[in-house]
Amino acid sequence: MCAQVKLTPSVLELNLPEIEKRIGCFIKKYVENAGADGVVLGLSGGIDSGTVAALSSLSIGGARVIGLMLPEKETYNSKDVNDAKLVAEKFGLKAQVCDITPVLEGFYKTIPIFDQADKLCKGNIKARIRMIYLYYYANKLNKIVCGSSDKSETMMGYFTKWGDVAADISPIMDLYKTQVRKLAEHVGIPHELAAKPSTPALWPNQLAETELGIKFETLDLILYGLERFMATEEIAQQLKVQKILVEKVKSRWLSVEHKRRLPLTPKLEYRTVGIDFRLPRHTY
Amino acid sequence: MKEIIKLALAQISSKRENKKENLQKIEDLTIKAKEQGADLVIFPELSLTGYVLHDQVYELAEVIQGPSTKRIEELAKKTGMHVIFGMPELGEKTKATIFNTAVLVGPTGFIGKFRKMYLPTHSVFEEKRYFRPGYQIAAFNTAIGNIGLFICYDIFFPEICRLTRLKGAELIVCISASPAVRRSYFEILTAARALENTAFLAYVNLVGVQDGLQFWGGSRLVSPIGNLLAKARYDEEDLLICEVDYRDIRPVETFIPTLRDLRPELFDELKKHSETL
Repeated sequence: MCAQVKLTPSVLELNLPEIEKRIGCFIKKYVENAGADGVVLGLSGGIDSGTVAALSSLSIGGARVIGLMLPEKETYNSKDVNDAKLVAEKFGLKAQVCDITPVLEGFYKTIPIFDQADKLCKGNIKARIRMIYLYYYANKLNKIVCGSSDKSETMMGYFTKWGDVAADISPIMDLYKTQVRKLAEHVGIPHELAAKPSTPALWPNQLAETELGIKFETLDLILYGLERFMATEEIAQQLKVQKILVEKVKSRWLSVEHKRRLPLTPKLEYRTVGIDFRLPRHTY
Repeated sequence: MKEIIKLALAQISSKRENKKENLQKIEDLTIKAKEQGADLVIFPELSLTGYVLHDQVYELAEVIQGPSTKRIEELAKKTGMHVIFGMPELGEKTKATIFNTAVLVGPTGFIGKFRKMYLPTHSVFEEKRYFRPGYQIAAFNTAIGNIGLFICYDIFFPEICRLTRLKGAELIVCISASPAVRRSYFEILTAARALENTAFLAYVNLVGVQDGLQFWGGSRLVSPIGNLLAKARYDEEDLLICEVDYRDIRPVETFIPTLRDLRPELFDELKKHSETL
């Protein structure tokens, strides 16, 4: 359908000053309109959260941005903590550290069916506990929660439902990971941090690319092609990858739409939440 | 009729679902425009209510001439100004048929309206879900010239602007709510529509953010030869005063005689082929 699209890295190039301006304006207007005092975000030491922290601080001023570092002993990595502190210092935002280990351990103890060996279920608890901390700060300090999910992870469903993806706004959700890397350097995130392998830090040594089974450079071009209705054969041919790889990406993208939406309800009445109750998100 | 008129391009951010506040802004800026010598002030598409309305449009739509139109008529009478603005119009013959409408009022009251003909329903747009398309071209003879109206996505269909010109419009006004990702298309098309029709084209866009859509502003006046005569700021509210000198049309019409050279038989072909697309 879109044979004219040439899947080379150049298609992912952005007008970075323009994108920075657009996202900055988006954050600023949202905070203003919501009557909030700023934003709170999770600061993991990774590229996505570092970029969102930088964009938020540049847009509304670091004094109105709180970066929460939420480490826990199982995945503790001093490099990540240092990187998070470096971002906080560079962009003048307020950083606070809350060690979530005791909460997690308390949680595990109280679940009768808790299975220590099931790292995914256990890891998801960590992401959701972090969400609770962020929303506590937001409620208490009249701030909004600023998410840092990117488009690659969101399309692949590579996130914890109601966990790391939970936020009031997600300023970089329309940018692929490789685009975020470029935006990160553009806004002043050090190259070393921008090039660091991505990890959700749900268990030790977890790496996004290893788990997804594909490099973001390739994944992003596949997703770009799918976004533009390209056939899997065409994408595979252009990128010189196996068709099965593209089909797997497409299948995963389509199978996790439920993670990106409100819970489904049967249509029973005149207008239904999440189906045809179509209202503006806000009245401003 | 005046040969030279002053326009005020009122590039505003509308407060969604808040007609009271938007009417106040329209009133304030009309007075300000008058103070700066303007004859006509132009506000963006759906400036009365905001653009992203979804189901709320059913509560916000009003007949023309309903209370909001009447208030702006009073304003026009009081200030001696001509005012163009956008609003969701409730049809008079049914209970829930709504149009996306541009309204022109002047010192003598209501002059006319245009109902958007092409309703974008793709990408982030869902206008056909809520609006009925218009069927009438709009060009009105006024004390400040023959003014034509159309709305936003209509600009992609050259026949709208062409028909407006053929009905006599010399100043064609496009009110818009265009999000930033589409900026380059409008920057090209505003120049093209003016040039191919040898008429002045005033484009007035919304600014602000509504449900993630960032409206880019960039309102402008384009000359009959396609030159940019004045341009408002990107992304921020602005009130741009600019001048239309209708005497500039004649030399352009002789230099680029697109209207003289129209070939009516081609329009039959156009009709035939568009029916069998």
